[in-house]
Amino acid sequence: MEHAITPLEPLLPAGNLKYCLVILNQPLDKCFRRLWHKALLRACADGGANRLYDATEGERESFLPEFISGDFDSIRPEVSEYYAIKGCELISTPDQDHTDFTKCLEVLQKKIAEKDLQVDVIVTLGGLAGRFDQIMASVSTLFQATRITPLPVTIIQEESLICLLQPGKHKLCVDTGLEGEWCGLIPVGQPCKRVTTTGLKWNLTNHMLSFGTLVSTSNTYDGSGVVTVETDHPLLWTMAIKT
Amino acid sequence: MLLRSTGYTREIKEKEDREKELWVTGDVGLALMPGRQRETETAARLGANSSLYAKFSDEGSAKTPALTREQVQPRGSKGNLKYCLVILNQPLDKCFRRLWHKALLRACADGGANRLYDATEGERESFLPEFISGDFDSIRPEVSEYYAIKGCELISTPDQDHTDFTKCLEVLQKKIAEKDLQVDVIVTLGGLAGRFDQIMASVSTLFQATRITPLPVTIIQEESLICLLQPGKHKLCVDTGLEGEWCGLIPVGQPCKRVTTTGLKWNLTNHMLSFGTLVSTSNTYDGSGVVTVETDHPLLWTMAIKT
Repeated sequence: MEHAITPLEPLLPAGNLKYCLVILNQPLDKCFRRLWHKALLRACADGGANRLYDATEGERESFLPEFISGDFDSIRPEVSEYYAIKGCELISTPDQDHTDFTKCLEVLQKKIAEKDLQVDVIVTLGGLAGRFDQIMASVSTLFQATRITPLPVTIIQEESLICLLQPGKHKLCVDTGLEGEWCGLIPVGQPCKRVTTTGLKWNLTNHMLSFGTLVSTSNTYDGSGVVTVETDHPLLWTMAIKT
Repeated sequence: MLLRSTGYTREIKEKEDREKELWVTGDVGLALMPGRQRETETAARLGANSSLYAKFSDEGSAKTPALTREQVQPRGSKGNLKYCLVILNQPLDKCFRRLWHKALLRACADGGANRLYDATEGERESFLPEFISGDFDSIRPEVSEYYAIKGCELISTPDQDHTDFTKCLEVLQKKIAEKDLQVDVIVTLGGLAGRFDQIMASVSTLFQATRITPLPVTIIQEESLICLLQPGKHKLCVDTGLEGEWCGLIPVGQPCKRVTTTGLKWNLTNHMLSFGTLVSTSNTYDGSGVVTVETDHPLLWTMAIKT
Protein backbone atom coordinates (compact mmCIF):
# COMPACT_ATOMS: atom_id res chain seq x y z
CA MET A 1 0.00 0.00 0.00
CA GLU A 2 1.44 3.33 -0.95
CA HIS A 3 0.93 6.44 1.14
CA ALA A 4 1.15 9.84 -0.47
CA ILE A 5 1.79 13.02 1.43
CA THR A 6 2.86 16.54 0.64
CA PRO A 7 4.57 17.40 3.90
CA LEU A 8 4.59 21.16 3.45
CA GLU A 9 1.09 21.44 2.06
CA PRO A 10 -0.33 22.92 5.29
CA LEU A 11 2.03 25.86 4.87
CA LEU A 12 0.68 26.77 1.46
CA PRO A 13 -1.44 29.93 1.55
CA ALA A 14 -4.06 28.45 -0.77
CA GLY A 15 -5.43 24.93 -0.73
CA ASN A 16 -8.05 22.80 0.90
CA LEU A 17 -5.96 20.59 3.09
CA LYS A 18 -7.86 19.59 6.21
CA TYR A 19 -5.64 19.61 9.24
CA CYS A 20 -5.65 20.13 12.96
CA LEU A 21 -3.03 22.17 14.78
CA VAL A 22 -1.22 21.35 18.01
CA ILE A 23 0.98 23.92 19.70
CA LEU A 24 3.79 22.74 21.97
CA ASN A 25 5.90 24.67 24.46
CA GLN A 26 8.45 26.24 22.14
CA PRO A 27 8.78 29.70 20.61
CA LEU A 28 6.13 30.07 17.93
CA ASP A 29 7.32 30.44 14.37
CA LYS A 30 5.84 33.15 12.20
CA CYS A 31 4.06 30.57 10.06
CA PHE A 32 1.70 29.83 12.95
CA ARG A 33 -0.71 32.58 11.91
CA ARG A 34 -1.22 31.13 8.47
CA LEU A 35 -1.51 27.66 9.96
CA TRP A 36 -3.97 28.80 12.59
CA HIS A 37 -6.65 30.28 10.42
CA LYS A 38 -7.11 27.31 8.11
CA ALA A 39 -7.00 24.65 10.80
CA LEU A 40 -10.15 22.67 11.63
CA LEU A 41 -9.24 22.32 15.29
CA ARG A 42 -6.52 23.95 17.33
CA ALA A 43 -5.09 22.77 20.61
CA CYS A 44 -2.29 23.70 22.96
CA ALA A 45 -0.32 21.24 25.04
CA ASP A 46 0.25 22.85 28.44
CA GLY A 47 2.96 25.51 28.06
CA GLY A 48 2.10 25.83 24.39
CA ALA A 49 -0.71 28.04 25.64
CA ASN A 50 1.85 30.45 27.13
CA ARG A 51 3.51 30.68 23.74
CA LEU A 52 0.21 31.38 22.01
CA TYR A 53 -0.82 33.94 24.62
CA ASP A 54 2.48 35.81 24.36
CA ALA A 55 2.61 35.70 20.57
CA THR A 56 -0.92 37.05 20.10
CA GLU A 57 -0.88 40.07 22.38
CA GLY A 58 -3.45 42.58 21.20
CA GLU A 59 -5.35 40.04 19.12
CA ARG A 60 -5.78 37.11 21.47
CA GLU A 61 -9.48 36.77 20.74
CA SER A 62 -8.64 35.80 17.19
CA PHE A 63 -6.45 32.96 18.42
CA LEU A 64 -8.52 30.93 20.84
CA PRO A 65 -7.76 27.22 20.86
CA GLU A 66 -10.57 24.68 21.09
CA PHE A 67 -8.81 23.15 24.06
CA ILE A 68 -5.69 23.21 26.15
CA SER A 69 -4.63 19.93 27.67
CA GLY A 70 -1.80 18.79 29.87
CA ASP A 71 -0.74 18.34 33.46
CA PHE A 72 -0.67 22.15 33.69
CA ASP A 73 2.71 22.38 35.33
CA SER A 74 3.91 24.81 32.68
CA ILE A 75 0.92 26.99 31.81
CA ARG A 76 0.91 30.30 33.66
CA PRO A 77 -2.12 31.01 35.89
CA GLU A 78 -3.10 34.18 34.02
CA VAL A 79 -2.93 32.28 30.75
CA SER A 80 -5.18 29.44 31.81
CA GLU A 81 -7.56 31.95 33.38
CA TYR A 82 -7.73 33.98 30.21
CA TYR A 83 -8.48 31.05 27.94
CA ALA A 84 -10.94 29.55 30.41
CA ILE A 85 -12.89 32.80 30.57
CA LYS A 86 -12.92 32.94 26.79
CA GLY A 87 -14.54 29.55 26.61
CA CYS A 88 -11.60 27.32 25.72
CA GLU A 89 -11.81 23.89 27.22
CA LEU A 90 -9.10 23.12 29.77
CA ILE A 91 -8.55 19.38 29.97
CA SER A 92 -6.34 17.98 32.65
CA THR A 93 -4.27 14.99 31.58
CA PRO A 94 -2.21 14.17 34.68
CA ASP A 95 -0.82 10.79 33.57
CA GLN A 96 2.91 11.00 34.18
CA ASP A 97 3.71 8.03 31.96
CA HIS A 98 3.03 10.04 28.83
CA THR A 99 3.99 13.50 27.70
CA ASP A 100 1.59 16.40 27.34
CA PHE A 101 2.00 16.09 23.58
CA THR A 102 1.01 12.43 23.49
CA LYS A 103 -2.00 13.08 25.70
CA CYS A 104 -3.01 16.07 23.62
CA LEU A 105 -3.11 13.86 20.55
CA GLU A 106 -5.39 11.46 22.40
CA VAL A 107 -7.81 14.24 23.28
CA LEU A 108 -7.62 15.63 19.76
CA GLN A 109 -8.35 12.30 18.13
CA LYS A 110 -11.33 11.87 20.42
CA LYS A 111 -12.74 15.23 19.37
CA ILE A 112 -12.10 14.54 15.70
CA ALA A 113 -14.09 11.33 16.08
CA GLU A 114 -16.85 12.97 18.13
CA LYS A 115 -17.29 15.72 15.59
CA ASP A 116 -16.90 13.24 12.75
CA LEU A 117 -14.37 15.47 11.04
CA GLN A 118 -12.55 14.60 7.85
CA VAL A 119 -8.94 15.37 8.60
CA ASP A 120 -5.88 14.74 6.44
CA VAL A 121 -3.05 15.46 8.86
CA ILE A 122 -2.23 16.73 12.34
CA VAL A 123 0.36 19.50 12.26
CA THR A 124 2.36 20.18 15.40
CA LEU A 125 4.34 23.33 16.08
CA GLY A 126 7.35 23.10 18.36
CA GLY A 127 9.08 20.10 19.84
CA LEU A 128 12.29 20.14 17.82
CA ALA A 129 14.41 22.49 19.90
CA GLY A 130 15.27 23.17 23.50
CA ARG A 131 15.83 20.40 26.02
CA PHE A 132 17.31 17.38 24.32
CA ASP A 133 15.12 14.93 26.23
CA GLN A 134 12.04 16.84 25.08
CA ILE A 135 13.17 16.69 21.45
CA MET A 136 13.46 12.93 21.83
CA ALA A 137 10.07 12.84 23.57
CA SER A 138 8.56 14.53 20.50
CA VAL A 139 10.01 11.83 18.29
CA SER A 140 8.74 9.22 20.72
CA THR A 141 5.23 10.66 20.45
CA LEU A 142 5.32 10.09 16.69
CA PHE A 143 5.80 6.42 17.46
CA GLN A 144 2.96 6.50 19.98
CA ALA A 145 0.76 8.33 17.51
CA THR A 146 0.13 5.24 15.43
CA ARG A 147 -1.85 3.71 18.28
CA ILE A 148 -3.66 6.99 18.99
CA THR A 149 -4.77 8.24 15.59
CA PRO A 150 -4.88 6.93 12.03
CA LEU A 151 -3.84 10.35 10.80
CA PRO A 152 -0.29 11.29 9.87
CA VAL A 153 1.34 13.62 12.40
CA THR A 154 4.00 16.08 11.36
CA ILE A 155 6.10 18.30 13.61
CA ILE A 156 7.46 21.65 12.49
CA GLN A 157 9.80 24.06 14.19
CA GLU A 158 11.94 26.77 12.64
CA GLU A 159 13.33 25.31 9.44
CA SER A 160 12.75 21.65 10.25
CA LEU A 161 9.90 19.22 9.70
CA ILE A 162 9.76 15.63 10.83
CA CYS A 163 7.27 12.83 10.34
CA LEU A 164 7.41 9.09 10.82
CA LEU A 165 7.07 6.84 7.78
CA GLN A 166 5.56 3.48 8.70
CA PRO A 167 6.79 0.29 7.05
CA GLY A 168 5.74 0.25 3.42
CA LYS A 169 5.94 2.57 0.46
CA HIS A 170 5.58 6.32 0.65
CA LYS A 171 5.39 9.05 -1.92
CA LEU A 172 6.40 12.51 -0.73
CA CYS A 173 5.56 15.45 -2.92
CA VAL A 174 8.27 18.03 -2.42
CA ASP A 175 7.32 20.54 -5.10
CA THR A 176 5.34 23.11 -3.11
CA GLY A 177 8.13 25.62 -3.54
CA LEU A 178 8.47 25.81 0.25
CA GLU A 179 11.05 23.05 0.49
CA GLY A 180 14.50 24.04 1.71
CA GLU A 181 17.66 22.34 0.57
CA TRP A 182 18.28 19.52 2.97
CA CYS A 183 16.42 16.39 3.89
CA GLY A 184 17.19 13.13 5.65
CA LEU A 185 16.07 9.69 6.71
CA ILE A 186 16.74 8.83 10.33
CA PRO A 187 16.35 5.23 11.54
CA VAL A 188 15.33 6.21 15.05
CA GLY A 189 14.40 3.35 17.27
CA GLN A 190 15.69 0.45 15.26
CA PRO A 191 17.71 -0.39 12.15
CA CYS A 192 15.86 -0.28 8.85
CA LYS A 193 17.41 -3.13 6.99
CA ARG A 194 15.97 -2.45 3.58
CA VAL A 195 15.40 1.11 2.48
CA THR A 196 14.87 2.11 -1.12
CA THR A 197 14.43 5.67 -2.28
CA THR A 198 14.00 7.70 -5.43
CA GLY A 199 14.05 11.44 -5.91
CA LEU A 200 16.98 12.14 -3.61
CA LYS A 201 20.46 13.21 -4.58
CA TRP A 202 21.85 10.23 -2.70
CA ASN A 203 19.36 7.45 -3.14
CA LEU A 204 19.32 4.08 -1.44
CA THR A 205 18.58 0.71 -2.96
CA ASN A 206 17.70 -1.96 -0.42
CA HIS A 207 20.25 -0.34 1.86
CA MET A 208 20.46 -0.62 5.62
CA LEU A 209 20.03 2.54 7.64
CA SER A 210 20.98 2.41 11.29
CA PHE A 211 22.83 4.38 13.92
CA GLY A 212 26.28 2.92 13.72
CA THR A 213 26.23 2.11 10.01
CA LEU A 214 24.47 4.77 7.97
CA VAL A 215 22.10 7.62 8.74
CA SER A 216 20.99 9.83 5.87
CA THR A 217 21.53 13.49 6.76
CA SER A 218 22.34 16.51 4.60
CA ASN A 219 20.68 14.74 1.70
CA THR A 220 18.87 16.75 -0.95
CA TYR A 221 16.60 16.39 -3.97
CA ASP A 222 17.22 15.40 -7.55
CA GLY A 223 14.84 18.02 -8.88
CA SER A 224 12.02 15.71 -9.87
CA GLY A 225 9.75 17.09 -7.17
CA VAL A 226 8.85 13.65 -5.86
CA VAL A 227 10.58 11.44 -3.33
CA THR A 228 9.61 7.82 -2.78
CA VAL A 229 10.69 5.88 0.28
CA GLU A 230 10.19 2.20 0.91
CA THR A 231 11.14 0.91 4.34
CA ASP A 232 10.79 -2.26 6.37
CA HIS A 233 10.69 -0.48 9.73
CA PRO A 234 9.44 2.93 10.89
CA LEU A 235 11.75 5.56 9.47
CA LEU A 236 11.82 9.24 10.34
CA TRP A 237 11.67 11.63 7.41
CA THR A 238 13.06 15.11 8.00
CA MET A 239 13.29 18.07 5.68
CA ALA A 240 14.04 21.74 5.49
CA ILE A 241 11.40 24.41 5.22
CA LYS A 242 12.45 27.49 3.31
CA THR A 243 12.66 30.43 5.67
CA MET B 1 34.39 5.57 31.64
CA LEU B 2 37.83 6.98 32.10
CA LEU B 3 39.52 5.21 29.25
CA ARG B 4 42.92 6.29 28.21
CA SER B 5 44.22 5.93 24.74
CA THR B 6 46.57 3.13 25.64
CA GLY B 7 46.65 -0.58 25.08
CA TYR B 8 45.16 -1.05 28.51
CA THR B 9 41.97 0.47 27.26
CA ARG B 10 41.53 -2.22 24.66
CA GLU B 11 42.06 -4.84 27.36
CA ILE B 12 39.23 -3.42 29.37
CA LYS B 13 36.96 -3.41 26.38
CA GLU B 14 37.69 -7.00 25.56
CA LYS B 15 36.78 -8.19 29.00
CA GLU B 16 33.48 -10.07 29.09
CA ASP B 17 32.29 -8.49 32.26
CA ARG B 18 32.52 -4.86 31.30
CA GLU B 19 31.89 -2.49 34.11
CA LYS B 20 32.74 1.07 33.56
CA GLU B 21 32.65 4.07 35.76
CA LEU B 22 31.48 6.92 33.70
CA TRP B 23 32.29 10.17 35.30
CA VAL B 24 30.24 12.01 32.76
CA THR B 25 29.06 14.91 34.76
CA GLY B 26 32.09 14.64 36.93
CA ASP B 27 34.10 15.09 33.77
CA VAL B 28 32.09 18.02 32.59
CA GLY B 29 31.67 19.40 36.06
CA LEU B 30 35.39 19.40 36.62
CA ALA B 31 35.92 20.97 33.28
CA LEU B 32 33.51 23.72 34.14
CA MET B 33 34.75 24.31 37.67
CA PRO B 34 37.65 26.68 37.93
CA GLY B 35 40.67 25.06 39.53
CA ARG B 36 38.88 22.58 41.72
CA GLN B 37 40.86 19.61 42.86
CA ARG B 38 39.13 16.40 43.55
CA GLU B 39 41.90 14.29 44.85
CA THR B 40 39.67 11.83 46.61
CA GLU B 41 38.02 11.01 43.35
CA THR B 42 41.27 10.65 41.49
CA ALA B 43 41.89 7.18 42.79
CA ALA B 44 38.32 6.24 41.99
CA ARG B 45 38.80 7.40 38.45
CA LEU B 46 41.16 4.56 37.84
CA GLY B 47 38.01 2.61 37.30
CA ALA B 48 38.46 -1.04 36.74
CA ASN B 49 41.72 -1.36 38.52
CA SER B 50 40.80 0.31 41.76
CA SER B 51 39.10 -1.10 44.77
CA LEU B 52 35.91 0.54 43.60
CA TYR B 53 35.81 -1.85 40.68
CA ALA B 54 35.23 -4.74 43.03
CA LYS B 55 32.61 -2.69 44.86
CA PHE B 56 30.43 -2.37 41.82
CA SER B 57 30.82 -5.96 40.80
CA ASP B 58 27.91 -6.87 43.00
CA GLU B 59 27.46 -10.18 41.32
CA GLY B 60 30.91 -11.23 42.35
CA SER B 61 31.90 -12.17 38.86
CA ALA B 62 34.13 -9.23 38.14
CA LYS B 63 37.41 -10.04 36.63
CA THR B 64 40.16 -7.77 37.74
CA PRO B 65 42.13 -6.76 34.71
CA ALA B 66 45.87 -6.89 34.86
CA LEU B 67 47.19 -3.84 36.60
CA THR B 68 49.88 -1.72 35.14
CA ARG B 69 52.08 0.51 37.19
CA GLU B 70 50.73 3.56 35.49
CA GLN B 71 47.16 2.97 36.52
CA VAL B 72 47.72 2.25 40.19
CA GLN B 73 49.16 5.66 40.76
CA PRO B 74 46.89 8.63 40.94
CA ARG B 75 47.00 10.63 37.82
CA GLY B 76 48.79 13.77 38.84
CA SER B 77 48.61 15.46 42.20
CA LYS B 78 45.92 17.94 41.23
CA GLY B 79 43.44 15.52 39.75
CA ASN B 80 42.59 17.81 36.89
CA LEU B 81 40.42 16.40 34.18
CA LYS B 82 42.20 16.00 30.87
CA TYR B 83 39.96 16.72 27.91
CA CYS B 84 39.98 17.93 24.36
CA LEU B 85 37.47 20.39 23.01
CA VAL B 86 35.63 20.28 19.69
CA ILE B 87 33.57 23.22 18.53
CA LEU B 88 30.71 22.63 16.10
CA ASN B 89 28.71 25.10 14.04
CA GLN B 90 26.24 26.32 16.63
CA PRO B 91 26.07 29.46 18.78
CA LEU B 92 28.73 29.16 21.47
CA ASP B 93 27.54 28.89 25.05
CA LYS B 94 29.14 31.06 27.69
CA CYS B 95 30.82 28.06 29.28
CA PHE B 96 33.13 27.77 26.29
CA ARG B 97 35.67 30.16 27.79
CA ARG B 98 36.12 28.09 30.92
CA LEU B 99 36.23 24.94 28.83
CA TRP B 100 38.71 26.43 26.39
CA HIS B 101 41.48 27.33 28.77
CA LYS B 102 41.76 23.97 30.49
CA ALA B 103 41.56 21.86 27.35
CA LEU B 104 44.58 19.93 26.13
CA LEU B 105 43.66 20.33 22.47
CA ARG B 106 41.03 22.46 20.81
CA ALA B 107 39.57 21.98 17.39
CA CYS B 108 36.84 23.47 15.26
CA ALA B 109 34.76 21.55 12.78
CA ASP B 110 34.28 23.80 9.74
CA GLY B 111 31.70 26.47 10.63
CA GLY B 112 32.56 26.04 14.29
CA ALA B 113 35.48 28.31 13.47
CA ASN B 114 33.05 31.07 12.47
CA ARG B 115 31.39 30.75 15.85
CA LEU B 116 34.72 30.93 17.67
CA TYR B 117 35.87 33.88 15.58
CA ASP B 118 32.68 35.83 16.22
CA ALA B 119 32.54 35.02 19.91
CA THR B 120 36.11 36.09 20.61
CA GLU B 121 36.23 39.46 18.93
CA GLY B 122 38.93 41.58 20.54
CA GLU B 123 40.68 38.61 22.09
CA ARG B 124 40.99 36.16 19.23
CA GLU B 125 44.66 35.51 19.86
CA SER B 126 43.76 33.91 23.17
CA PHE B 127 41.44 31.49 21.44
CA LEU B 128 43.41 29.86 18.67
CA PRO B 129 42.48 26.26 17.96
CA GLU B 130 45.15 23.69 17.23
CA PHE B 131 43.33 22.82 14.06
CA ILE B 132 40.23 23.43 12.02
CA SER B 133 39.00 20.55 9.92
CA GLY B 134 36.11 19.99 7.55
CA ASP B 135 35.05 20.27 3.95
CA PHE B 136 35.16 24.04 4.43
CA ASP B 137 31.80 24.75 2.90
CA SER B 138 30.73 26.70 5.98
CA ILE B 139 33.83 28.53 7.21
CA ARG B 140 34.00 32.11 6.02
CA PRO B 141 37.06 33.07 3.97
CA GLU B 142 38.17 35.79 6.38
CA VAL B 143 37.91 33.32 9.24
CA SER B 144 40.02 30.62 7.64
CA GLU B 145 42.53 33.26 6.56
CA TYR B 146 42.79 34.64 10.07
CA TYR B 147 43.40 31.31 11.74
CA ALA B 148 45.79 30.18 9.00
CA ILE B 149 47.89 33.32 9.45
CA LYS B 150 47.90 32.74 13.20
CA GLY B 151 49.37 29.30 12.72
CA CYS B 152 46.33 27.09 13.19
CA GLU B 153 46.35 23.98 11.07
CA LEU B 154 43.63 23.83 8.45
CA ILE B 155 42.89 20.25 7.56
CA SER B 156 40.64 19.50 4.65
CA THR B 157 38.41 16.45 5.15
CA PRO B 158 36.34 16.35 1.97
CA ASP B 159 34.79 12.88 2.41
CA GLN B 160 31.08 13.38 1.87
CA ASP B 161 30.11 10.10 3.50
CA HIS B 162 30.86 11.45 6.94
CA THR B 163 30.08 14.66 8.72
CA ASP B 164 32.62 17.32 9.60
CA PHE B 165 32.18 16.32 13.25
CA THR B 166 32.99 12.67 12.63
CA LYS B 167 36.04 13.58 10.57
CA CYS B 168 37.18 16.08 13.17
CA LEU B 169 37.16 13.32 15.77
CA GLU B 170 39.33 11.21 13.48
CA VAL B 171 41.88 14.00 13.13
CA LEU B 172 41.75 14.69 16.85
CA GLN B 173 42.31 11.07 17.81
CA LYS B 174 45.26 10.94 15.45
CA LYS B 175 46.81 13.99 17.11
CA ILE B 176 46.16 12.62 20.58
CA ALA B 177 47.98 9.45 19.60
CA GLU B 178 50.81 11.31 17.86
CA LYS B 179 51.39 13.51 20.87
CA ASP B 180 50.89 10.55 23.20
CA LEU B 181 48.47 12.56 25.28
CA GLN B 182 46.64 11.19 28.27
CA VAL B 183 43.06 12.25 27.69
CA ASP B 184 39.98 11.38 29.68
CA VAL B 185 37.17 12.70 27.51
CA ILE B 186 36.39 14.64 24.37
CA VAL B 187 33.96 17.46 25.03
CA THR B 188 31.99 18.80 22.08
CA LEU B 189 30.17 22.12 22.02
CA GLY B 190 27.16 22.48 19.74
CA GLY B 191 25.29 19.88 17.72
CA LEU B 192 22.09 19.71 19.74
CA ALA B 193 20.10 22.51 18.16
CA GLY B 194 19.29 23.91 14.75
CA ARG B 195 18.60 21.73 11.75
CA PHE B 196 16.96 18.50 12.85
CA ASP B 197 19.03 16.35 10.48
CA GLN B 198 22.19 17.84 11.98
CA ILE B 199 21.05 17.06 15.50
CA MET B 200 20.58 13.46 14.42
CA ALA B 201 23.96 13.54 12.69
CA SER B 202 25.55 14.54 16.01
CA VAL B 203 23.95 11.54 17.68
CA SER B 204 25.10 9.38 14.79
CA THR B 205 28.66 10.57 15.31
CA LEU B 206 28.54 9.29 18.89
CA PHE B 207 27.88 5.85 17.44
CA GLN B 208 30.72 6.29 14.95
CA ALA B 209 33.00 7.51 17.72
CA THR B 210 33.48 4.04 19.15
CA ARG B 211 35.38 3.00 16.04
CA ILE B 212 37.35 6.27 15.97
CA THR B 213 38.51 6.77 19.53
CA PRO B 214 38.52 4.81 22.78
CA LEU B 215 37.69 8.01 24.60
CA PRO B 216 34.20 8.93 25.75
CA VAL B 217 32.69 11.75 23.73
CA THR B 218 30.15 14.10 25.26
CA ILE B 219 28.16 16.78 23.48
CA ILE B 220 26.96 19.92 25.22
CA GLN B 221 24.75 22.72 24.03
CA GLU B 222 22.76 25.19 26.09
CA GLU B 223 21.27 23.23 28.95
CA SER B 224 21.68 19.76 27.45
CA LEU B 225 24.41 17.13 27.52
CA ILE B 226 24.37 13.81 25.71
CA CYS B 227 26.70 10.86 25.62
CA LEU B 228 26.38 7.28 24.46
CA LEU B 229 26.58 4.48 27.01
CA GLN B 230 27.95 1.29 25.49
CA PRO B 231 26.53 -2.09 26.53
CA GLY B 232 27.56 -2.86 30.10
CA LYS B 233 27.37 -1.15 33.46
CA HIS B 234 27.98 2.52 33.99
CA LYS B 235 28.27 4.74 37.01
CA LEU B 236 27.46 8.39 36.52
CA CYS B 237 28.41 10.80 39.26
CA VAL B 238 25.86 13.55 39.25
CA ASP B 239 26.89 15.48 42.31
CA THR B 240 29.02 18.27 40.89
CA GLY B 241 26.33 20.79 41.73
CA LEU B 242 26.09 21.70 38.05
CA GLU B 243 23.37 19.18 37.28
CA GLY B 244 19.99 20.55 36.29
CA GLU B 245 16.73 18.81 37.10
CA TRP B 246 15.99 16.54 34.21
CA CYS B 247 17.70 13.56 32.69
CA GLY B 248 16.80 10.74 30.33
CA LEU B 249 17.75 7.51 28.63
CA ILE B 250 17.06 7.36 24.91
CA PRO B 251 17.29 4.07 22.97
CA VAL B 252 18.06 5.89 19.77
CA GLY B 253 19.41 3.23 17.49
CA GLN B 254 17.70 0.07 18.63
CA PRO B 255 15.59 -1.30 21.46
CA CYS B 256 17.46 -1.88 24.70
CA LYS B 257 15.74 -4.95 25.98
CA ARG B 258 17.20 -5.00 29.46
CA VAL B 259 17.94 -1.75 31.18
CA THR B 260 18.49 -1.46 34.92
CA THR B 261 19.10 1.79 36.72
CA THR B 262 19.61 3.18 40.19
CA GLY B 263 19.72 6.74 41.37
CA LEU B 264 16.88 8.00 39.24
CA LYS B 265 13.46 9.06 40.42
CA TRP B 266 11.94 6.56 37.99
CA ASN B 267 14.28 3.61 37.91
CA LEU B 268 14.17 0.62 35.61
CA THR B 269 14.72 -3.01 36.48
CA ASN B 270 15.47 -5.18 33.48
CA HIS B 271 13.04 -3.04 31.55
CA MET B 272 12.83 -2.59 27.82
CA LEU B 273 13.43 0.87 26.43
CA SER B 274 12.48 1.48 22.83
CA PHE B 275 10.74 3.99 20.63
CA GLY B 276 7.20 2.70 20.56
CA THR B 277 7.20 1.21 24.05
CA LEU B 278 9.10 3.36 26.55
CA VAL B 279 11.63 6.16 26.31
CA SER B 280 12.85 7.73 29.55
CA THR B 281 12.50 11.51 29.36
CA SER B 282 11.81 14.11 32.05
CA ASN B 283 13.36 11.75 34.55
CA THR B 284 15.23 13.13 37.52
CA TYR B 285 17.47 12.09 40.42
CA ASP B 286 16.74 10.45 43.75
CA GLY B 287 19.23 12.67 45.54
CA SER B 288 21.93 10.07 46.09
CA GLY B 289 24.29 11.83 43.70
CA VAL B 290 25.02 8.67 41.77
CA VAL B 291 23.23 7.05 38.86
CA THR B 292 24.02 3.57 37.62
CA VAL B 293 22.87 2.31 34.25
CA GLU B 294 23.16 -1.20 32.93
CA THR B 295 22.19 -1.77 29.32
CA ASP B 296 22.41 -4.52 26.73
CA HIS B 297 22.61 -2.15 23.76
CA PRO B 298 24.02 1.35 23.24
CA LEU B 299 21.86 3.79 25.14
CA LEU B 300 21.97 7.55 24.97
CA TRP B 301 22.24 9.35 28.31
CA THR B 302 21.02 12.92 28.39
CA MET B 303 20.92 15.39 31.25
CA ALA B 304 20.38 19.00 32.14
CA ILE B 305 23.16 21.40 32.91
CA LYS B 306 22.23 24.13 35.35
CA THR B 307 22.17 27.47 33.60
